[in-house]
Amino acid sequence: MKCEELRREMPDLAAGLTQASDPIQEHLRACAPCAAQFEELRQTMVLMDEWEAPEPSVYFDTRLQARLREQKAMETVRGPGWFGWLPRPAMAMAGALLLAVGVGIWQFGAHGSGTGDLAVGAPTVVQSSATAERGTAVGDLQTLDNDNDLYADFDVLDDIDSQQNAQPATN
Amino acid sequence: MSPHAETQLSSSAGVDTGVSSIALNAGFSGGLDGQPGTFALGAVDADGDAEVMLRVKAGDEDAFGYLVQKYRRAMVHFMFRTTRTQAAAEDLAQEVFLRVYRSRQSYEASAKFTTWLYRIATNLAINHARDTKNERPENTVSVDAKNEETGQSFDIADGSLTAEQNLVRRERMIAIRAKVLGLPDKQRIAVLMHKYQGLDYKQIAEVLKLSESATKSLLFRAYETLRQQLKEFV
Repeated sequence: MKCEELRREMPDLAAGLTQASDPIQEHLRACAPCAAQFEELRQTMVLMDEWEAPEPSVYFDTRLQARLREQKAMETVRGPGWFGWLPRPAMAMAGALLLAVGVGIWQFGAHGSGTGDLAVGAPTVVQSSATAERGTAVGDLQTLDNDNDLYADFDVLDDIDSQQNAQPATN
Repeated sequence: MSPHAETQLSSSAGVDTGVSSIALNAGFSGGLDGQPGTFALGAVDADGDAEVMLRVKAGDEDAFGYLVQKYRRAMVHFMFRTTRTQAAAEDLAQEVFLRVYRSRQSYEASAKFTTWLYRIATNLAINHARDTKNERPENTVSVDAKNEETGQSFDIADGSLTAEQNLVRRERMIAIRAKVLGLPDKQRIAVLMHKYQGLDYKQIAEVLKLSESATKSLLFRAYETLRQQLKEFV
């Protein structure tokens, strides 16, 4: 066995994960540099055992459960399937884009049909679509104009009352 | 995984492999509703975990709880040795399990579950190390960083040692940690998986996507660096 071959096996050997085979033992007996290097590496491994890690805290499971519940709730909303991997902003952007395109198409269609109506020349439609907003000066004037007939009826009623009151006096 | 490595995995990596000891009413119940799970398996070795993961994929949440119970300790230990505090280690370990859960639909049993798990953990650990690179100068690594909740330090002084011996021990731990954390990413991860998690060459090679031969060389270079740098403590 060559020194290079032995070195590649040293980590497992020094960590005690594998036993030295006969060729390895033979090489270690015959090669002082390799034997010294191996012994130092073995001691380094022992030293490294001192670095201990703490056990999971009592909060570990509780927190993990809470995070899993959040995950589950998220999957319920957007599903674990084909689009589940999409992050929320991407979904929102896609939704907004779809909405914008939809509104655009609708607007385009509405304007197109409106022009057609005008071409046909239906005055009532034009009038109703031109109704101004209530509360504005133009709107109030339009309201007064529209209510003119109603006020005229009131005038007729006033006239009837006055005529009825006047008749007994004449009789 | 060789029988020897599996034994190593059970002991060093803190993988809880006992059948009855993985009762789901101990700590993590498995179910998301916090109720005790009903998942029960015979002795499931690391190879069988792929089957358990397939059950998770099929919607068995108790099976997921089983995997959490089995690997939570190993993941916390692995992450602890890549971070500074226990809180960060637990947060990252939880993130590993969350990613496993999120990825359950795409899981394929073509590789060992542990390989898949450690690949997720390794990616997280390396990204975390890069994100916090400026926060962890190697010479100021704190081994006695206290747990934020318990206020306890993991580096509790050994009562059987004198104050001076405890001081020396503490210095050794600081040195070990600093030197390991100072290794290049792949070397560091390889050492952690080999020395502390008990993974064999083949598994480490699969996690790091290297050949077995390259993994052996990588590990030897890493240990050689550590041997030289820690010589004064040996």
